[in-house]
Amino acid sequence: MDIRGDTLLQLFIGILTIAVLGAVFLVVPPAEGLGDYVRLAFFHIPVAWVSVLAFLMSAWWAAAYLRKGSQRVDALSAGSAKIGLIFVLLATVSGAIFSKMTWGAYWNWDPRQTTIFVLLLIYGAYLTLRSAIPGAERRARVTAVYALFSFLTVPFLVFIIPRLYFSLHPSPVINGSGSIDMDPVMLAVLLAALLDATLIYFWLLFRGVRRQLPPAKRQEESA
Amino acid sequence: MHVSIFQGIKLVFGKELTAGLRFRAAWAAMFMFALTTLACVSMAMQGGGLDPRLLAALLWVILFFASMAGADRVFADEDTAGTLLALQVYGPAQAVLLGKMLYTFFLLLVLAVFITPLFLMFMDCTVTAPLVLAGTIFLGTWGIAAAGTLIAALTTGASIHSGLFSILMLPVILPVFLPAIFLTTGAFGGDVQLSYLGGMGIYDLILTLGASVLFDYLWFEE
Repeated sequence: MDIRGDTLLQLFIGILTIAVLGAVFLVVPPAEGLGDYVRLAFFHIPVAWVSVLAFLMSAWWAAAYLRKGSQRVDALSAGSAKIGLIFVLLATVSGAIFSKMTWGAYWNWDPRQTTIFVLLLIYGAYLTLRSAIPGAERRARVTAVYALFSFLTVPFLVFIIPRLYFSLHPSPVINGSGSIDMDPVMLAVLLAALLDATLIYFWLLFRGVRRQLPPAKRQEESA
Repeated sequence: MHVSIFQGIKLVFGKELTAGLRFRAAWAAMFMFALTTLACVSMAMQGGGLDPRLLAALLWVILFFASMAGADRVFADEDTAGTLLALQVYGPAQAVLLGKMLYTFFLLLVLAVFITPLFLMFMDCTVTAPLVLAGTIFLGTWGIAAAGTLIAALTTGASIHSGLFSILMLPVILPVFLPAIFLTTGAFGGDVQLSYLGGMGIYDLILTLGASVLFDYLWFEE
């Protein structure tokens, strides 16, 4: 993306962020049973979503690295994990605060708390491994293998953990019967917040990779 | 000379077993770690009277961390001794991986056979479903061996060793670790949900296949 495109994207993200914040505090009605605490969900759900998205993208680019050996996709995979770690920390902290305000305890190993914690461990392990392997090429290869190997936990996180632990978490936006069970205003604001967080993730990621790779290498890689 | 994959696995397993029995450091570290931890726990708890769930968690924590004390060396020792390159030249990748995995599995099973009766004795624990306990230990150690062998290959040549193996292992092995604790709780007198055994078996297979596919990328580095 050129400088003009980047500036336009920044502008759009800025406007969208302000609009989402305004809607969360001025438009969204208090929720039944949760009251004004529900406003925290419009921060917590998008950061949790990006935590998972960054994990999937990191594994995707890890697979691309093993196929092509491109330095750029390795930088994307590592960058995605770094941003994912920040988002998963935000999701963990915001989730713990929400849990304390609504259920009276910061942590109770609810299935989604467990999932997000496992994700936190994976990001931490991936970045620790990255800092422990000398040599750029071996580091890229080894961490790509680990990113894909740790991705094997996904079926467990999605299908097994919810059966092992009782959950207090509210039903997902799209529930078990496949229908959408949410106030239309809340749903619209939530979707906008999800788009905003996703755009922030991609913007941070590509900006970081652009700064990391020298211009000649970038042109060579994108050709 | 053409060697089939099964012969290759057998040869690598034999080599590992011979080297392990000759030098014994990995065996001694694992067994002594397990025994020391069990003694500490038993002394602190002054014998028995614990909830089955807590007992199950303690048994698996001892098994998991004791395995970390020995299973992380399967490739690092070859690297230190300078034999890794020879193995890369003469050994087919899959035979090396599966041979070492089988050896680690065998090592962990022997460890479990050694420490579990001692655990039951020291903790005054009654087993109400011995077959479930045996099946859980079998599948649990298989999972640790499958993940541990690939992760041992990953950490070869890393600038830090202490703790790295455990850090990388825990998130990957949790899908084995947690159902193993649930099933062991059942074997110690709680509710037994046999479907978890199937889940553990499937995840073990996924780990083994995943390790097998990904190992080629480490073995055939350009």
